[in-house]
Amino acid sequence: MAEYTPDYVGTVTKYVFVESPSMTPGELALRAYEASEGVLIKETCFGLQVTGEPESVDRLLEEIRSFDPTHIFVKDRGFPPGDPRRCRANLGGARPGYLGHEREFRILRYITRGLEELDRREGDEAEPAPPARGKRPLLDIKRLQELIDTEES
Amino acid sequence: MAKVFIYPATSLILSDLVARFGHKPLGAALGIRERIQTAGVDSPPLQITPEEPKRGLKYAAVEVPSGVRGRMAIYGPLIEEAEAAIIVTEADLAFGCMGCARTDELILFSLRQSGIPILELEYPTNEEEGIRFVAAVKKFLAGLPDGGEA
Amino acid sequence: MKKVRIAQLSCGAEYSGVQKEIYEAAESVGAEVFFPDIALADVERAVKKFGLDVKSADLKLMIARALALVEGKVEADGVFIGTCFRCAEAAIVRNELRRYIPENSKLSVVSYSFTERTTAGTLLTRMEALTTIARRRALLAREEQTGITMGVDSGSSTTKAVVMKDNEIVGTGWHPTTEVIKSAESAVSDALEMAGLAREDIQAIGTTGYGRFLIGKHLGAELIQEELTVNSKGAVYLAGHQRGAATVIDIGGMDNKAISVIDGIPGTFTMGGICAGASGRFLEMTAKRLGVDITELGPLAMKGMGKNVPMNSYCIVFGTQSLVNALAAGSSPADVAAAACHSVAEQVFEQQLQEVDIKEPVIMVGGTSLIEGLVYAMGQLLQTEVVVPPNSQYIGAVGSALLASGFIKGE
Repeated sequence: MAEYTPDYVGTVTKYVFVESPSMTPGELALRAYEASEGVLIKETCFGLQVTGEPESVDRLLEEIRSFDPTHIFVKDRGFPPGDPRRCRANLGGARPGYLGHEREFRILRYITRGLEELDRREGDEAEPAPPARGKRPLLDIKRLQELIDTEES
Repeated sequence: MAKVFIYPATSLILSDLVARFGHKPLGAALGIRERIQTAGVDSPPLQITPEEPKRGLKYAAVEVPSGVRGRMAIYGPLIEEAEAAIIVTEADLAFGCMGCARTDELILFSLRQSGIPILELEYPTNEEEGIRFVAAVKKFLAGLPDGGEA
Repeated sequence: MKKVRIAQLSCGAEYSGVQKEIYEAAESVGAEVFFPDIALADVERAVKKFGLDVKSADLKLMIARALALVEGKVEADGVFIGTCFRCAEAAIVRNELRRYIPENSKLSVVSYSFTERTTAGTLLTRMEALTTIARRRALLAREEQTGITMGVDSGSSTTKAVVMKDNEIVGTGWHPTTEVIKSAESAVSDALEMAGLAREDIQAIGTTGYGRFLIGKHLGAELIQEELTVNSKGAVYLAGHQRGAATVIDIGGMDNKAISVIDGIPGTFTMGGICAGASGRFLEMTAKRLGVDITELGPLAMKGMGKNVPMNSYCIVFGTQSLVNALAAGSSPADVAAAACHSVAEQVFEQQLQEVDIKEPVIMVGGTSLIEGLVYAMGQLLQTEVVVPPNSQYIGAVGSALLASGFIKGE
């Protein structure tokens, strides 16, 4: 049985997703490099992957989030960047997690809207309740048509 | 800062919101990271060895498929560690670490059994729901120990 | 040599800790496993199109990847379908895809349900068959034996050798497998003696069976090939049914093969058997217990009524216990023999024949096909007349000799 010796022990890797009308992943990467201070940054199609000591990564992420708080989203990643075990080129296709990102990427704009609205209502006591489980109203037919149109466009 | 289990455990949105509002999200990546960064027997791609489904026996009986037990070896300890949970129900199309419906049912059951505070909601499908979604998450997180703004 | 690309459609392999075993099995036969690349929209569309509304996202992914292969959006040489053993949801998807892919494409499929104990060794022969089909399609198309060739089948129970000349079997040899090389040597010299030929007369040699690598090296064989493709070829050749669909059943000494064949090439196949209770070994034990030679077991079983004796165990220990109990309770040896045949046939039927589409003719091969009680029981279960071609016990050796003639110099 082959031995396994891990790389990047003690580091954390996080995904940074940018879904913004005013900032591309490339621009995000440029600005992140300037603030990186030794944290490893890898540009991707959806944003970045950052790898380093947990504290340094947290510091950098705080800075990165401040570029565009309601359009930048962060998530933990188990693998270091470019790991051949997860790399699309080696697997012949996207790892399953990528499709999960694709799924959530579609609704990020609603989250952005939520964050913006809450910022605006700062200090406002009355917050809407979450949608009750199993009690979702039927989708309005006009709304359905709108959804179909936006998906197709 | 409270440890908040997120479901789907691979969710970008939940992971982001929990961290954004000052808490620690417990998701699949943490379990995978631990394995990827631990030396041992080589078992690509996830460093999940055949020993893991055996460890999963703590959470699921031997007649439960090996894939469920292997996944529970990742999630079981995280659920035990969790102080709260946010659950998005009807989270279909969560692949990979969340790709097995039987495991997902067991995770949800374990969370609900654990007695920790839980927020259950659905993914937003429009802006109005987006606002309510974020508000509900924020309010829930603010009510946890050491909660508040990040 | 260019690697054979095997598309993996699976759920649970990484989390069962067996993905590495799948990689290793593929690598050891010069193949590489890959995951067909698709987008989220493909998943949603594919699940709708296929119409199987499962809950697990990774099973939906399997369906979408299968459709991408069938629609030609992703190219592959073969398909490996694997899901967790004991998962009902996954078993439904696995079975439906196993059927769907060969029906709608030219791809060969092997399916397997794994546990955390599955090893590369278990998967090896299956992966090898997939690569053989991809690499040797031209060779497998051979329908006639030419020149003088020899085939040796080194099985777990017996070793068989066949010498062929100008599309005829001219010599055969059969020995129980004790020491692998010695047993092969004995079988080979018997076959040569019967053919009246010397070793130097042989123009090409093919080997198959468990001992194929060892024997192949020892004899300097031109062709060393797993028994799934070789036996398929041998079966349709001997049955005179080289074109079209057929089903080949080979109940072996240690494991069983069920192969759905199209034009002599396996489309889907299964291999295995949970325990020796569903193998030829159990029939050997039965014969010994009844005090008859294995060759007498079949005729004896034909005289008995299997229904009179309760026997249905895939475990050889429990099966033997039923046998002993039945004899102690006064059952006739004929009834016990019939029950043993029925029991083995039933195990194979329940555990393996569900995994392949049964298309007529059903051809039974291997040493156990000579036990007429077993063939009868299988025919009853399948509600069809089972074909046992002449020389069916030499199936692997005949297939090897036939295919080896593709390696004669100047061919």
